[in-house]
Amino acid sequence: MTLALSIGILVAGGVFMLLQRGMIRIVLGFIMLSHAVNLILMSAGVTSRRDAPLMATADPATAADPLPQAFVLTAIVIAFAITIYMLTLAVARSDDDTEDPS
Amino acid sequence: MILPVLLGVLVVAVAATPLLDRGLGRNAGWVLAGVFGTLAAVVGAQAPAVLGRGETLEFFVPWMPTLDVGLHLRLDGTSWLFAMLVLGVGALVMAYSTRYFPPGRRTGFYGLMTAFAVAMLGLVLADDVVVMFVFWELTTICSFLLIGLSGESANRPAVRTFILTGLGGLALLAAVVMLMVNAGTSRLSTILAETDWQASPGWSVAVALLVILAAFTKSAQFPFHYWLPDAMAASTPVSTYLHAATMVKAGIYLLMRFTPVFGDFPLWNVLLIGTGLVTAFIGALFALQRTDLKELLAYSTVSQLGLLVAIIGVGTPYALAAAGVHTLAHALFKASLFMLMGVVDTRNGTRDIRELPGLWRAMPATATLMTIGALSMAGIPPLLGFVSKEAILDAMVGLPGEPWVGLLVALGAVAASTLTFAYSFRMVYGAFGGSPGTAKHGEAGPSYLLAPAVTALSGLVLAFALPVLDPLVDRLVLDTTGTAHESHLALWHGFNLPLLLSAIVIGLGAVLAWQRVAVDRVLDRQLVPVQGTQVFEAAYRGVIAAGVRIGRLTASNAPAPYLAAILLTLGGTAIAVTLGRPVVPAQPEPTTRPTDWLLVALILVAVTAVVITRSRLAAVALVGVVGFAVALWFLLLGGFDLALTQLLVEILTVVVAVLVLRRLPRAFHPTPRARRLGAGVVAVVMGVAAGLAAFALTGRREMSPASEYFLRNAEEETGGTNVVNTILVDFRALDTLGELVVLGVTGLIIIGVLESARLNHGRLPEKVAGFAQNVVFSARENSLIMRTVARGLGPVLTLLSLYLLLRGHSAPGGGFIAALVGGAGFALAYLAAPAAARARIRLPYPRLIAAGVAIAGGSGILGYLEGSFLRPLHVDIPLPGDGYYHFTTALIFDVGVYLAVIGVLLTALNRLGTEDDIHAEEPLGPGVESTDEDDPDSEDETNDEIDEGTAAEPDLASPKGGRR
Repeated sequence: MTLALSIGILVAGGVFMLLQRGMIRIVLGFIMLSHAVNLILMSAGVTSRRDAPLMATADPATAADPLPQAFVLTAIVIAFAITIYMLTLAVARSDDDTEDPS
Repeated sequence: MILPVLLGVLVVAVAATPLLDRGLGRNAGWVLAGVFGTLAAVVGAQAPAVLGRGETLEFFVPWMPTLDVGLHLRLDGTSWLFAMLVLGVGALVMAYSTRYFPPGRRTGFYGLMTAFAVAMLGLVLADDVVVMFVFWELTTICSFLLIGLSGESANRPAVRTFILTGLGGLALLAAVVMLMVNAGTSRLSTILAETDWQASPGWSVAVALLVILAAFTKSAQFPFHYWLPDAMAASTPVSTYLHAATMVKAGIYLLMRFTPVFGDFPLWNVLLIGTGLVTAFIGALFALQRTDLKELLAYSTVSQLGLLVAIIGVGTPYALAAAGVHTLAHALFKASLFMLMGVVDTRNGTRDIRELPGLWRAMPATATLMTIGALSMAGIPPLLGFVSKEAILDAMVGLPGEPWVGLLVALGAVAASTLTFAYSFRMVYGAFGGSPGTAKHGEAGPSYLLAPAVTALSGLVLAFALPVLDPLVDRLVLDTTGTAHESHLALWHGFNLPLLLSAIVIGLGAVLAWQRVAVDRVLDRQLVPVQGTQVFEAAYRGVIAAGVRIGRLTASNAPAPYLAAILLTLGGTAIAVTLGRPVVPAQPEPTTRPTDWLLVALILVAVTAVVITRSRLAAVALVGVVGFAVALWFLLLGGFDLALTQLLVEILTVVVAVLVLRRLPRAFHPTPRARRLGAGVVAVVMGVAAGLAAFALTGRREMSPASEYFLRNAEEETGGTNVVNTILVDFRALDTLGELVVLGVTGLIIIGVLESARLNHGRLPEKVAGFAQNVVFSARENSLIMRTVARGLGPVLTLLSLYLLLRGHSAPGGGFIAALVGGAGFALAYLAAPAAARARIRLPYPRLIAAGVAIAGGSGILGYLEGSFLRPLHVDIPLPGDGYYHFTTALIFDVGVYLAVIGVLLTALNRLGTEDDIHAEEPLGPGVESTDEDDPDSEDETNDEIDEGTAAEPDLASPKGGRR
């Protein structure tokens, strides 16, 4: 429930920013959307078990789902790379306006 | 075991070429010629077994066992012939290259030529359709690169060749897929032997057509013939290899390989014979038109390939026997003619017969050898070319079916051969005949003439040792038609129809040669209204123009309209689905905890603020807050590594964003209220849809079997206790490798983008004359605390990052996190520096990225020691005293990850953080020593203060203020 709410809020904010003018806002929207997607991935696992899956200390019966965590770890880094790239695009022109001046 | 060794030695030779090139320059060719020659001898030594006793050498290693694709290699008679050509002609071309090129290094040439040999050898040895396709494509790529080596003027020809032969490659791919799906195996010999070709005639015809298309593009058959003369832009050794032994012979090989199954398809016979003869005729006709010797030879190759395709199309044992002999004969005479043409070209500075003086006296050896080659090409006894042409005519006359059809086909070949005679004469007479002039340099040295002499004289010697070729021909016929055959190649077969036809060819050809002035007058015009290259370019432009036109239908520079349409459809669908099927399984266990609500509230507040604010800086900071909240979420969900990664990524994103922001206006571009409202509606719809979907569709099941497996077995199987890390570097390392490559590419793209478009310097700080000398605005003084902290913290961060890297397998940490910590150290050093110019961390960041990806990939190759790519190896290293250190190659992989991530971070910092050079070098004045530039942080404060304090400075306060 709480996870779903967080996802909903992030998606709404991200989509709103994506639909604005200017590259920076689009990048920020993208960041928030990727947060939302990462949380969806987490939510797809078993979120009722929340012990860190460090088997030196954890019990396999209560440890959190490691699979979505591995996905999300990859996703975070890729999203970071794309974010930097999009930020670069924002300054590769004289302005980050994404719309023709009307 | 011989077959993989052949390929392996060549691959090693490719790797060694840079060294050889550095040490020996053009003479590296001698070493390679030795390698090729030795390998050719090894293949030749298989002749008694393969040709004499009819054995077939095979080799197999699994490659993709789950797809049943393996490195199947197979040497039968057909492969033997082509392998000998690749290696033998390769050796001679390498030797020739040492004298053809001027002294000095031949960067890339030898490596690419050897790689080309690998590709071609792999192609003719492959007994797996997938492997065969891979090598087929490699020949295309190598030829593209080799043609492109010749400089600017060769660019378009290289591209045209690549696209056309690449097209054929796609046809082959389609055929390969169809064959694999149907047969259930990728083994070529099994497919050829066991497929039921009668079961579905339409399917068989489709495969046949695809194979034909692939072969025709590769072997330059009409209407694709134009690429071969176009590719003349390549240097002569490349052309020699391309024309005589590789590339174009790949198509011939493919047709021979598929003859056992398609040889009696009427469609196959008609298409091959028809196209082959047309190609043979027009190729010869165009050759007769040329004055450039190289072009003449190129069209001659087109013509000869046409003849080969036609005779393969006949499909009888006699025809395939003739095809085998002619393949050999053509390789020999074409290699010598090309190389000798190169000799003439380099000695005289031209290869145009209108400009060449009569070189007979000046270059007698070259002239003799070229005459021998030309006689073989023209089909005159006693040369191998005569034997093969007789055999071809004989097989054509014997075409099954109505006798007149065979005769007609043979007459087509007679017409082409007559023209061949004429252009052979034209070539020799053009180069060497006529009034003797003074040659620039005289005769070439023996080492230069060695290679062409070997090929030309082989054509002569073999004609007198024809029984030697009988076993080869018999085996080839058995391979390609499945029929036992006993050939008796001979120069003299008695008076028969082929001999009469040969006599006609020679007679008519002699007439054409005698009447060459008249012939020239007739041919000295545009024979066809269009040229192949023009058609290609028109089609090429047309495709691009069509793409542009289609794109323009919806094109707009603003992304919002597209996005809104997509998002609304998506959101609407999602809501409709969710509302339409309200049956939702119950949650097995409660997934919500009271503390979660704090995060929901935090995210709600931060996101709302992001949406409302008009200041860029505020928005970036607020998105950072959102990121922290998400990191906390990960922590609550038990993801230690995730939370750490997210936190660090958030910090670094803000650092990079700030570097970017100072070049942009302060506030966002204004958007009208109606638009904000519209966007708001779309956003809310999407948010509700996503939230509902997440609530209804996720978190309603038990742990997946895969997760359960990882939790229970990770430690046992990998020695690591941090399950998430073991998944990343052990179980699913290939995914991580892919991710790493994405990361590396991003870094390179950033460099590329900023190289091609100058960095925007829009809002860099302007020096305020009055304040510049004031200590309050001195970047140096202001960054003192930061610098002090950084000095102490930098080494700690570096050590910490190394520690995190080493322990990642068993505790939170690993390559990503360690690199992000290290990157944070660099960011700190960057921010603390008083001037951007000084903060540049002078590490070769593109190399770091490359090294990272290479190390990660290389550690994957180590995994082959235990059977598969990226499989981690484990060693327990005993420590002094007690205990063991558990070492795994996964750690090397993690080091690769570490380097690549650091490289990308440094790229972003260095590239986005650079100042305008004018700013950086500007001296401040006598009062302040050497602080050229405000550092990014204090600069913002500077401007803020000006904003508040001196509103009378509209220039600075306005978003567009600044230098530009």
